[in-house]
Amino acid sequence: MNNPSVESTVELNGRSHRFTPGESILQLARREIGLRAIPTLCDDPRLAPHGACRLCTVEITQEGSDNPRLVAACHTPVVSGQKINTHSPTLHRLRKNIVELVLTDHPMDCLTCSVNGNCELQKVAAEVGIHKVRYLPGAHHLDRPADHSHPYLRFNPDKCINCARCIRACDEIQGAFVLGMGERGFKSRVIADDFAPFGDSTCVSCGACLETCPTAAIDDRFHSKSLQAEKRVRTVCSYCGVGCNLEVSVVNNEVHSIRAAHDSPVNLGHTCLKGRFAFGFYNHPDRLQTPLIRNNGVLVESSWDEAISLIAAKLNNIREEFGPDSIAGISSSRCTNEENYLMQKFFRAVIGTNNIDCCARVCHSPTALGMQQAFGTGAATNSIEDLAHTECMLVVGANPTSAHPVTGAKLLQAALGGKTLIVIDPVKTRLAQLADHHLQLRPGTNIALLNMMLFFIIEADLVDHDFVARRCHGYQELGDNVRQLDINRLAKITGVPAGVVEAAAHAYGRAKRAMSFHGLGVTEHSQGTPTVRLISNLAMITGNLGRQGAGVNPLRGQNNVQGAADMGCQPHQGAGYLDLSVEENRAHYETFYHSPLSATPGLKIPQMYEAALDNRLKALWVMGEDIIQTEPNTDRVKKAVDNLDFLIVQELFLTETAKRADVVLPGTSSFEKSGTFTNGERRVQRVNASVDPLPGSRPDGQIIIDIMNQMGYPQPDYDPAVLLGEISRVVPFLSGVSWEGLGDYGKQWPVKSDGSETRILHTETFKHGKGILGHFDFEDTLELVEHSDHYPFILTTSRDLVHYNSGTMTRRTHNVEIMGEDALLINTEDARSRGIEEGDRVRLKSARGEVELSASVSSTIKPGILFTTFHFPEKNVNHLTSDVADHQTLCPEYKVVATDIERVGA
Amino acid sequence: MSSNISKLLSRRGIDHSLLEAFHHHQKSPASSRERLIKKLAKEHQIGEAQVAASFSFYDHLDSAGDPRELALCNGTACLCADPDNRLLAALKKRHGKEVTGRVSCLGHCYAAHAYLDQGQPCSGDPAPSREPEITNTISDELVRSNLKEPLLTTTPLSIEQAAELISRITTQAPYDLLDQILTSKLRGCGGAGFPTGVKWESCMKVENTTKFIICNADEGDPGAFSDRYLLESQPLRVLTGMMLAGRVIGATTGLIYLRDEYPHASTTLQKAISALRAAALLGKGINGGEFDFEIKVVLGAGAYICGEETALIASIEGRRPEVAVRPPYPTQSGLYGYPTVVNNVETFAATTAILETSGEEYARLGSTRSTGTKLISLSSLFNQPGIVEVEIGTPLDDLLYQWGGGFSQPVKAIQVGGPLGGVIRTDQTTSLTLDFESFAEHGFVLGHGGIVAIPESMPMNRFIHHLFGFVAEESCGKCFPCRLGSIRGEEMFQHALDGSPLNPQLLDDLLLTLEQGSLCGLGGGIPLPIRNILQQFSEELPWTEGRER
Repeated sequence: MNNPSVESTVELNGRSHRFTPGESILQLARREIGLRAIPTLCDDPRLAPHGACRLCTVEITQEGSDNPRLVAACHTPVVSGQKINTHSPTLHRLRKNIVELVLTDHPMDCLTCSVNGNCELQKVAAEVGIHKVRYLPGAHHLDRPADHSHPYLRFNPDKCINCARCIRACDEIQGAFVLGMGERGFKSRVIADDFAPFGDSTCVSCGACLETCPTAAIDDRFHSKSLQAEKRVRTVCSYCGVGCNLEVSVVNNEVHSIRAAHDSPVNLGHTCLKGRFAFGFYNHPDRLQTPLIRNNGVLVESSWDEAISLIAAKLNNIREEFGPDSIAGISSSRCTNEENYLMQKFFRAVIGTNNIDCCARVCHSPTALGMQQAFGTGAATNSIEDLAHTECMLVVGANPTSAHPVTGAKLLQAALGGKTLIVIDPVKTRLAQLADHHLQLRPGTNIALLNMMLFFIIEADLVDHDFVARRCHGYQELGDNVRQLDINRLAKITGVPAGVVEAAAHAYGRAKRAMSFHGLGVTEHSQGTPTVRLISNLAMITGNLGRQGAGVNPLRGQNNVQGAADMGCQPHQGAGYLDLSVEENRAHYETFYHSPLSATPGLKIPQMYEAALDNRLKALWVMGEDIIQTEPNTDRVKKAVDNLDFLIVQELFLTETAKRADVVLPGTSSFEKSGTFTNGERRVQRVNASVDPLPGSRPDGQIIIDIMNQMGYPQPDYDPAVLLGEISRVVPFLSGVSWEGLGDYGKQWPVKSDGSETRILHTETFKHGKGILGHFDFEDTLELVEHSDHYPFILTTSRDLVHYNSGTMTRRTHNVEIMGEDALLINTEDARSRGIEEGDRVRLKSARGEVELSASVSSTIKPGILFTTFHFPEKNVNHLTSDVADHQTLCPEYKVVATDIERVGA
Repeated sequence: MSSNISKLLSRRGIDHSLLEAFHHHQKSPASSRERLIKKLAKEHQIGEAQVAASFSFYDHLDSAGDPRELALCNGTACLCADPDNRLLAALKKRHGKEVTGRVSCLGHCYAAHAYLDQGQPCSGDPAPSREPEITNTISDELVRSNLKEPLLTTTPLSIEQAAELISRITTQAPYDLLDQILTSKLRGCGGAGFPTGVKWESCMKVENTTKFIICNADEGDPGAFSDRYLLESQPLRVLTGMMLAGRVIGATTGLIYLRDEYPHASTTLQKAISALRAAALLGKGINGGEFDFEIKVVLGAGAYICGEETALIASIEGRRPEVAVRPPYPTQSGLYGYPTVVNNVETFAATTAILETSGEEYARLGSTRSTGTKLISLSSLFNQPGIVEVEIGTPLDDLLYQWGGGFSQPVKAIQVGGPLGGVIRTDQTTSLTLDFESFAEHGFVLGHGGIVAIPESMPMNRFIHHLFGFVAEESCGKCFPCRLGSIRGEEMFQHALDGSPLNPQLLDDLLLTLEQGSLCGLGGGIPLPIRNILQQFSEELPWTEGRER
């Protein structure tokens, strides 16, 4: 093409500007003049141009012409040499006339409207200067009744201006397709589903409609768009590992409402119903507001001093009597990096043990280990923004539209936008429904299926030989092993026809850039770590590493599970993943901790129960985790916990675990304290306290410090900035991190000492040199080998969109009005053969125990498979789950449970 | 427009169209409307809201009953022929039941007043004594031409003649075929007059293995019925033109979007398609060559806006047919996002005429910038109503008085080019010739060539009320100026009819808003005839004091 510097200029309001080919006049004007350069109502920069309000009309004059033409700036591309005028008497008159027309069908109740002062229509009306509506009263929609049927959203159709932003956000951002424009012309109106009330519709409550609505037509029960706030605090969501940035409005030292931050690269103004609406737990009456001490078998209120003194004394005694390894701790991925750092520091430096673990054990420990083995670093290799550059997405054992909603929505949009989507999942998830290839395998056969994928890629020679030669070890051996696989046997094991796998393998192998994403459907298996290795194999042999739009990207479950592991809350590695059996590493830590460290690897969580049952473990401190409800084989965990001499539980609520504690310490939620969280793409982001801690509670980091001090270890009061400074010196890959330097957008590690971040790992080399390829054969899980004769169904579990894990938080919000119980999904054929109908009570039994649930008949799962969620304690499905675990990391096999089912009363 | 919905709908494709399912349901409902919508949403993996939005858009779809059972035409020609709406009373008396629906034009403007009875278009004499005439075709007596050798109104093609033309299509190189169209200087006959060859060429150059040809047979302009004539009487000319276009741009599928108000045209088209198929002139490897082409008729469901090409494309896909922003233009990204050529019925017929003769010969007719011929529809107030094929450039008065035979009652003005066309006083017609340039120079549009005579007895504020009302009824409701402005205009003139004075400043603001602000030609076009009337018939309107003009 011609010289762009000559070609790409345009005159905007008399000044020359460069433009990007293809951009609209509105985009240019916003960039060069400012966001409000041209008035608009129907535009949202995140959505495709709609061209409805026409307020953005501008005058353009082409080269060689004297007559300006009127065009809508939002959908008219800039043409070089053009003269653009955004303001003129003609344009002013047009805009004023349009707004006047809008006001003929809008209630004039601004002063009592919830968005008073924050309404785009109000702003535009003020800008163009409307003093009077001259039209005589006519047809209107002011009597359309408000729809308050949804637990959170409020639809006020009288205030709707038909800009369709809500409909487009529901489609283009969330991909839920719940909203539409019903009827025609003046009668046109926003509808949910088939003219259903919002509350009865298939709405996923993400609030994208609310966020974009320019008026109060879509509002929420908290009036989040109102200006009523003393301050707005930017922080990070404390639910999943996506790490959405939120803006918390505070009134009278209480969280008033939450909106999504529009400038965050993580969520771009989007979030889900948990992040946006489910904050009511934080000051729920159930919140613990005083420490509790068990006295004569009963938990009674105590002072902080009493509780701290008791803990210090008890731990000192136990350590003296039974040694430091008789004490263990479970840290919390819900807590900040600084708090996790303190927790492991406490155990290593104060107690002198490596018995510190966190919930990563029960979720992504196989990911961390498997990817460390393969690449040297156990974290996502790429960033979610790479979706824009990839051609193919492979999603294995993950249901991100429910568990990681914002990333799920991005994946869905990418798939709808034409990128190839391959889903490996026993459940027909929302993504699977839209996928180009859905490999609906039998639960527990990931290894068999991924080996088939490897086979077909190698067989069709879709291998990136150059990459393999330069950057990988072990290809020859892998190829030899894979070529010998009996594909027909594997097809039978997985239940997926070879041809179906072949097509998917070819799609992945042929893509110039392919990304994989995986979740707990990969890790929570007896062969969890090998499965991660095979996913890594796939990426390595196709050269999909170290490049934009490629990589292996685990979808980390909890808000800070990445951070908890980074901070060293694991029994074999300290902060920054340094192996503690290496003396040099211990010396590194000791310079900061001023205390000798143990070289003995600590206990992993399942080993802690074993040790407690064997009387080797005497004291356990659990911070922010309800192990009774979330660990497998509940009865065994209860026995283990009850066998301890001393159990400390630090919690927001009196959970099932807290009820068994000797001391309960009231911690705080992330609304009440500051620190940092690290999301699933290694982004360290600042969490800022919005409100003071609830009276009687203390920030979890301060509690740890109080105990440290009481036990004679000097540690200054909790100050995340100072702690982050220490962390940056301890953890090599965080050397350039500082509280100020993180800013609003956070930084992806490794952060070099100059403060520069890393979006893509392994661009030149792997941490340990070459990537390691490895072959692993499929083994049937012991659970099925031992129990499938008597328990013929395979139960698999997962999270629903509405609730979060054991539901401690979400069950204490209006989310229960959306989903109030766990249901058991059963295939239509199985339901028929067992005489089970929709809504029937069913009894679900495994070798460990039984629970009752109500049945939901579904075709999203195959015959022989059962599916449920685990959000409600009264039906704790973990009564059924087994002790089978990943051989290397001991991550429990939640995803495969041999069960049988019967109708209650049958 | 939603590219997501478009993509999801494309997965099931044109053979599983929502519109067809809606029609099927309307004819013989197998389940409730609610279940139909749930089922379609599930099958297409889109939301129920999108299906419901689409279903609820059309006049002819209604779960409560068939709106077409007894529906009165409220087109301009019918209004002018029966200003007192005597037919309504007559129908009520004759059928003993209420009129259930409305249609905007049945293409019976030559015999107004028209109505639908059990879905069949009828022309009724308002006098209750006479039985209505069910007229399937536009009889030969109604079709004339001022050309010695008419191109479009000549003897219809036989299947053998079509075969001969198709063999030329399949054997000649696409570029040579395009050359003929470019040479002919043919301009689209739907109203906008865009050069056909240029449109085809731009689509031809887009690289894509999937492309579509769409014939816009949604002749919605009240007052025009020339497309109806071609579809019913010259279907092979239309179909051959579509094949020619398909061959040029590299499309293998042609779709005819036919308005539901033309049931007979549907029959004749299906017959013609069957005949072509029977002669192996449609399908795979036509004439043993490598040209594949299939043609399918898609029935509309009563919505004027579907004549606008982006709404038309949305309608075929199954989306709510609202107007989309441009760019992208359909030639780049049309049906399901694939390159698409949309042309009017008459345009395709004209390309066949070019194929029959040559581009050069076609260009010899007319003037240098407007070439060929044009079909003009004359409404029932002419002494000789019907279709006239005129050479482009024919003086308007020749048409009105020679070929149309003048008027059967005192007429004060004509409206040319549909409800969005200019209104011309009968004493102002002399200087006009029938071509794009002459009309443009005088501030009018030739449009699709429908001419409706406005009788002396028609009060002009009532006529404007009708025009605003038409837009208010037919607006898709997307852009603010049209959705709100049309109903406010209708209300303003209702007030005027009720005796309130008109505020000239407000009316001028409203017209300017529609003109400058509307997204498409519907809202943008309506100010033209209204301004014409304000200028030429100002004395008829009840202005407030102090109007300066």
